[in-house]
Amino acid sequence: MAERWLEELRNAVRAPSDEGVAQSRRQVQNWFARTAPLIEWDAVESPVGPLYIAVSAKGVCSVDFGVTRSAFLSQLDPLACVEHNPAAVAFVTAQLREYFAGDRLRFDLPLDLSRLTPFQQRVLQITRGIAAGTVWTYRQVAEAMGKPKASRPVGQALGHNPVPIVVPCHRVVASDGSLGGYSAGGGLESKRLLLQLEGAL
Amino acid sequence: MASIPVRFETLIESYHDEIYSYVWRLLDSATSADGTVEAPDVTQEVFMRAYKSFERLRPDSNHRAWLYKIATHCTYTALKHGQRRAQHSVPLEDEHEDLAGADPLPDGLVVQHEALAMVRRSIAALPAKQQMAVMLRHVQGLDYAEIAEALECSEDSARANVYQAVRRLRRELAKAQRVQEGE
Repeated sequence: MAERWLEELRNAVRAPSDEGVAQSRRQVQNWFARTAPLIEWDAVESPVGPLYIAVSAKGVCSVDFGVTRSAFLSQLDPLACVEHNPAAVAFVTAQLREYFAGDRLRFDLPLDLSRLTPFQQRVLQITRGIAAGTVWTYRQVAEAMGKPKASRPVGQALGHNPVPIVVPCHRVVASDGSLGGYSAGGGLESKRLLLQLEGAL
Repeated sequence: MASIPVRFETLIESYHDEIYSYVWRLLDSATSADGTVEAPDVTQEVFMRAYKSFERLRPDSNHRAWLYKIATHCTYTALKHGQRRAQHSVPLEDEHEDLAGADPLPDGLVVQHEALAMVRRSIAALPAKQQMAVMLRHVQGLDYAEIAEALECSEDSARANVYQAVRRLRRELAKAQRVQEGE
């Protein structure tokens, strides 16, 4: 009885046409594409597995590996409009391929670190200058910032590096000679692999 | 386990269609105009407002209920601006005329058509909060926690509003059926 009544209610309440729904969806999607910042991404094969790369209007904003595609996309700027566009990311993938082939020692790429704190940005800027084939300790990075006691915050900032490999946080190790930590995909295994690739181990 | 962050874009993919339907239905039941004219703009307004406050939203929020809350506000505002009220909806007689102009319907369908129009009028005549509550529960399929959030009231109040609306509608319907059956 109750169900028959509900059926009547649902019959009586009209539904919009499919065409109307589709038109409205297009209108909202068009507004979103006009309004939201654009992030374009692509994936390339690498010795550490599929490597995901995302680029905003300002520069490279995210690099990751050892993660699923949806996990990679879900951590991008939640307000952005995200599109798969290999051509827009080609200038980054080209340099990464050269790096993995041993033909490139440093990256010449604009970075978008705007979602990081000033402290995190500073840590990454210094880390960017560490040459391939060498390693620094967390303490050395802290000292270079003029904050010799900040080894731990430096380690934490490197743990939030959104562009690993491009900013070579794998070149920063612990003072006792151990590798320290690595939060990018594959963990310490990847860190060791990258350092071996560069001849630092 | 940390919840996976939600990107705004996926909210459009997941919820646009039902939010649009909700807005369209509220406009449709409250006005004589076809909801299709105004509903796309109101729906866009819903997502524009949501976009502005998205970053301040707690990550564990119920995004669906939150969008319904904004949709309820936006539709209500649109209705106020248009100064449209339930009494402007199409009277039953007009629907009869529409029918007369078209190909004649078989008797059974005419009766059914009248019954549906009667239910629609009864829904439109409900107090706004009851109307929204019953639509959210039985047409849009929200649970009571979601309705409470969408209508900014307690869960008890959401239940009470649905219950009262259902009671009233059933009474109206039973009356209509008796009339139809010629009692």
